[in-house]
Amino acid sequence: MRTCIISTIILATSSVVAAQSAKTPSEEDYYKLVRYELPPGAVMECGGLDFLPGGRLAVGTRRGEIWIVDNALAADPKQAKFSRFAHGLHEVLGVAYHKDGWLYVTQRGELTRLKDTDGDGKADLFETVSDGWEINGDYHEYALGSRFDKDGNIWITLCLTGSFTSNSKFRGWGGKVTPEGKWVPTTSGVRSPGGVGFNADGDVFYTDNQGPWNGTCGLKHLVNGGFVGHPDSFKWYAEANKLNPTLGPAPAKPMSNSRMMIEAKRIPQLVPTAVMFPYGKMGQSAAGIDCDLSGGRFGPFAKQLFVGDQTHSTIMRVFLEKVHGRYQGACFPFRQGFSCGIVPVCFAPDGSLFAGGTNRGWGSRGTKPYSLERLVWTGKVPFEVHEMRAKHDGFEVTFTRELDLATAADPKSYKLQTYTYIYRADYGSPEVDATTPTIAGVEVGADRKSVRLRIQRVQEGHIHELHLPGVRSVDGQGLLHKEAYYTMNYVPAP
Amino acid sequence: MQMVFPAWFGVLLSTSLLVGGGATSLRDHPMVPSFERFFTERGADLVAGGRLLLAELNCVACHKSEDQSLKSKAAPVLTDVGGRVKRSYLRQFLADPQGVKNGTTMPDLLAGLPPAERAEKVEALFHFLASTGTPRTERPERKWIGAGRDLYHQVGCLACHETRDAAGNIAAVLPTSVPIATSKYTLGSLRAFLENPLAVRPSGRMPGLLNSKEAQQVANYLLQGEALGAPAYNMSYAYYEGEWDKLPDFARLKPKATGQTADFDLSVARRSHNMALKFDGFLKIAKEGQYKFWLTSDDGSKLWIGGKLVVNNDGVHAPTTVTGAVFLSKGMHPLTAAVFNAGGGVELAIDIQGQGLGRQSVAPFVYLSDQGETVRPATAKHDGESLEIQPALAAKGREYFATLGCANCHELKENGKTIASKLMAQPLGKLAPAGGCLAEAVKSGLPKYPLSAAQRAALQSAVRGPAAAASDAKSAIARSLLTFNCYACHERDKVGGPEEARNKSFTTAQPEMGDEARIPPSLNGVGAKLRPEYLRKILHQGAHDRPYMHTRMPGFGEANVGHLVRLFVDVDHLEPAPKVVFEESPAKVKAAGRHLVGAQAFACYKCHTFNGQKAEGVQGIDMTLMPVRLQRDWFIHYVLDPNRFRPGTRMPTAWPKGEVTLPNILGGKAINQIEGIWLYLSDGPKAQIPVGMKPSAILLQPIGEAIIYRAFIQGAGPRGIGVGFPERVNLAFDANNLSLAMIWQGAFIDASRHWTGRGEGFEPPLGDNILHLPQGVNFAVLAKPDDPWPAKSARELGYRFRGYKLTPDQRPTFLYEVHGVRVADTPNGIAGKEAPIIRRALELEGAADNLYFRAAVGDTIEALGDGWYRVGEWKMRLAVDGEPRLRSAGGRWELLVPVRFESGRARIVQEYHW
Repeated sequence: MRTCIISTIILATSSVVAAQSAKTPSEEDYYKLVRYELPPGAVMECGGLDFLPGGRLAVGTRRGEIWIVDNALAADPKQAKFSRFAHGLHEVLGVAYHKDGWLYVTQRGELTRLKDTDGDGKADLFETVSDGWEINGDYHEYALGSRFDKDGNIWITLCLTGSFTSNSKFRGWGGKVTPEGKWVPTTSGVRSPGGVGFNADGDVFYTDNQGPWNGTCGLKHLVNGGFVGHPDSFKWYAEANKLNPTLGPAPAKPMSNSRMMIEAKRIPQLVPTAVMFPYGKMGQSAAGIDCDLSGGRFGPFAKQLFVGDQTHSTIMRVFLEKVHGRYQGACFPFRQGFSCGIVPVCFAPDGSLFAGGTNRGWGSRGTKPYSLERLVWTGKVPFEVHEMRAKHDGFEVTFTRELDLATAADPKSYKLQTYTYIYRADYGSPEVDATTPTIAGVEVGADRKSVRLRIQRVQEGHIHELHLPGVRSVDGQGLLHKEAYYTMNYVPAP
Repeated sequence: MQMVFPAWFGVLLSTSLLVGGGATSLRDHPMVPSFERFFTERGADLVAGGRLLLAELNCVACHKSEDQSLKSKAAPVLTDVGGRVKRSYLRQFLADPQGVKNGTTMPDLLAGLPPAERAEKVEALFHFLASTGTPRTERPERKWIGAGRDLYHQVGCLACHETRDAAGNIAAVLPTSVPIATSKYTLGSLRAFLENPLAVRPSGRMPGLLNSKEAQQVANYLLQGEALGAPAYNMSYAYYEGEWDKLPDFARLKPKATGQTADFDLSVARRSHNMALKFDGFLKIAKEGQYKFWLTSDDGSKLWIGGKLVVNNDGVHAPTTVTGAVFLSKGMHPLTAAVFNAGGGVELAIDIQGQGLGRQSVAPFVYLSDQGETVRPATAKHDGESLEIQPALAAKGREYFATLGCANCHELKENGKTIASKLMAQPLGKLAPAGGCLAEAVKSGLPKYPLSAAQRAALQSAVRGPAAAASDAKSAIARSLLTFNCYACHERDKVGGPEEARNKSFTTAQPEMGDEARIPPSLNGVGAKLRPEYLRKILHQGAHDRPYMHTRMPGFGEANVGHLVRLFVDVDHLEPAPKVVFEESPAKVKAAGRHLVGAQAFACYKCHTFNGQKAEGVQGIDMTLMPVRLQRDWFIHYVLDPNRFRPGTRMPTAWPKGEVTLPNILGGKAINQIEGIWLYLSDGPKAQIPVGMKPSAILLQPIGEAIIYRAFIQGAGPRGIGVGFPERVNLAFDANNLSLAMIWQGAFIDASRHWTGRGEGFEPPLGDNILHLPQGVNFAVLAKPDDPWPAKSARELGYRFRGYKLTPDQRPTFLYEVHGVRVADTPNGIAGKEAPIIRRALELEGAADNLYFRAAVGDTIEALGDGWYRVGEWKMRLAVDGEPRLRSAGGRWELLVPVRFESGRARIVQEYHW
């Protein structure tokens, strides 16, 4: 008997895709990518971004520099003017502008604030705000800092020592530095964070990456007293309680080779990953986070989160809702084609989205070694899944444009599969426990912009991977992105 | 990668959980691992299982058969067996094969004979076999044991054999574990066997996995209990784990293990990388005088005698010898030796010479206590290997060898001539399924196999069953994968892959690559993946192409598995990738291919080695090996969509959904670009290294203004702040300890370690004349003037780093707080007459009683007047209000400056001239 490996023939079509047929809408039609030419000699491996007043952008780099970009929001990127504000910092992975004029930067070993006191355009005062955690010289011990939250705190997530262990104080913790400069560890279980940010309500989220106790990359909610997955951080509970007495004792240790929702039922502190990014499908290295608060200037996705991916050089889109008091939701492909692996992302005051790149040490699909780019909405509304809400018996999916009733109401326009990941001490996990629920019914909403999918049946603790190849808009267009991935940690009550 | 297990797997798993202590009962029958794994459950294909046993138990050696698919496992070659197998073992084994080696496939040929007759035959056979040679016993070398243990547990032995403890004894047996008769071998014979198992066991069931040195190491590990006068414990040890680039401060560390040992035995370490060992004992000196010591180590080591450092061989390095000398009085002297190893080989040897002693190992002069004690370890077995061969008995044994059936299975050549068997049994086709060897009670004179019920049932079915097996290629492949237990490591067609109970034994050097870094690849489609000649090569002699994977592909021997190449090629197919015709010249195509894997494009070298050059992050399979191993069509399909072949792989595609991200290269076509890479790599070792792969130095040169460099700085800690001044003088401040850690002249620092790749490790100064300043805090409160300087770190003392301010030309003033006093610390580079100097001005604000500044620590400190001091080799000038005080501390000298506050301020100026 002969075994022949069947596959889709990619090769034959590749040149056609490259040529871009005029009819098929592309991401570029809706979100234009603007690339900045960087000054010669500047190695801008971006680690942090924030805006100063007057449309000036501050860029923190892995080589420890701070660059200020004047005219960053000019229509012509050539108008942007770069000047070096500071150097000599230790791998900056967080930049935050304070209204009092200080620039806060998260370095490996400390949170520092910078000021130019003599007005010569260069920082001359570098004040240590907090060095409440420790480093031992392991390159993996990164510190990723947020911008300011609504109460004036900066949130910092501390990567483990290597992939598996916490060998320095508070490695594997997330926490905040208060306006008074006090370090307050709040959350254990961090592994290898890629960014910290806030949703529209100001709640704190960070991304963590596939590895031990992380079957795939995910977006996690940083809650005071919470535990987000990797137990090696437990060894610092006694120290953490000295700084944050609300924490209480260390949680029960999770069982390896279990499932996250099984352990979450056993361990009350375990906050399940709000949104998992299926490995290889939605990136491979989740990174920076920012929330669209532009009030529509970035298109139809107000209040959603935008998350960078370093390996795939993409930005993904995330919709969150609360079910049983916990955040969960869906992620969607949004924009690919960035020049380099995306680490920080930051919304500008004008509603455009800036993304900084680096691929040093970890390769990226984007081919440049570093980059600074900006995503600008063209004003055209792409036909996309807008939101995806869990229901006890399925989903409510909303769209950005009016639907074609025939295709939207046809169950054959949809394909659904579910799976989850093993929650384990080993590195990563394959997709397991797969099911293929049947789509028992589809109802198009009265607004013609939403559908109600009834499925047999919803799988608690599973990612529900929904493909919508057949759905058309009223003017006959297919979706710009035909996939959505919902992390169903909890099934809503009927 | 997800392993798919057949339905009976769960049952197998539940049995394996029962294993625990009762190890040997699992092996009260001949062990054929594939049979145990796949044919012992209800519903198994009994005929197939029986046919496997017919071959593995070598039934056709006596029961002739024309069926070629019953290619038998030959028994070990017994030519010269007397030189290989210990006599004690040989005699016992002949008397009771299954009792001596649980699970052996050797039947008892003498079962049922009257005891006297049986004993007579055993003794005759024993004399005959023993007459073929004399085994040479050797004492195990302890230095190989650790490496041997790591190899045994990592390279693939555990795919078939049992796990073992540090002493080499069985730790856990699984139902599928093939036994190892360690008591059979001498060190030399086991080593020879492991290096080339096919010489003695030509049928390849035990494939070759180790080179000569590794065979030596594993043999020493397995036979370490050989007590040919094991040395007495004469020192204690403490074992530590951690990542270091020099010896750690043991006083601050907690050992992972402690105990007693002999002669600086490195095998007490639990692993050979990222570890350190400290040995403590007492050196007995019989005659007073000067002694010289040689300290050889890999990596760094130190030797202290009487608390004094005698030899310093610290740092990361290949085996290096450093010497030192010391005057020793007659009597017992505390001796401490420490070694650490970051990675690679580990070694420690210490020699002594002097006062009549020629250069020799110091170990025999070391004792556990100053009373001269040693402790004899609890091992002392001896095997009386001496034997006088009785020629008459041997001749009789030779006759038995031919008549009893030994010669049916075992080849034994005398003077190049094989002893022929004189025994023949019924042909296989004429056997009654329930009689003979397969009877419940085997008749006297017939070979007795202690078959399990499942084995007996399977063999009976096979004898009764269809005459020949399915002859198609796919079935033939599956049969071979069973025969050679390929399924222990590999999955194909949803069968096999590591058993759950063995899964953890498959390990990797790069856990962050996940399962694909540790589980050997699936064999699905392998015939369309590997080039046939390469497939033939690795089946024959094995391979270790995946540097991250500890498990290796063993070599099974061409004669045993060569047939698989044709079968794989016949069965596996992949749709061809389109042919590419380039407009560009071949040189241009290759240049484009090189560009595509380089820094300005896909930077494949970040995760793949290239012609031995290390990658930046994970160390993926070498790029130049790909055209040697792979078929072109497979390579093209794979890089376009790696997940199709390796679900969940970390390998991303540079052409998502076939789209091209670099439209200006090779016509902007994915297929052309991949072909370009393929052609470039096809140049093999001659291909130029990808652009950007070799990191070049990044020299930070202060011109016109100072440069600050915060990083892991060797000598200044993980929060080092380096400052390079335009005056070509430099310093490093330790922000953890709030101390000026070191100063040096000339070049500042090379940033390439931290600014290329992931930035691992500590970088030392680049320049010259490095002066390391006192470790520990610079300021302290001493309640009494004679209190010792605190050993605690600044963080432990509650000191706070406040940051720094910079002048317009970027010169820093470090700001910190000690005991409520705010310190502004400005060490500045100044051009000097002969060489540049550092002038350090410390401005203090606040108040603290009994606050001292420690200006210097040295073996000698001499006041020269006018504020000048000589500190060992260098000079210093102090301008202070208080009166500096020189005091001795722990055999060294300290210069302390009491801080005198006037209106809440104090000032100290210190100049370093060196």
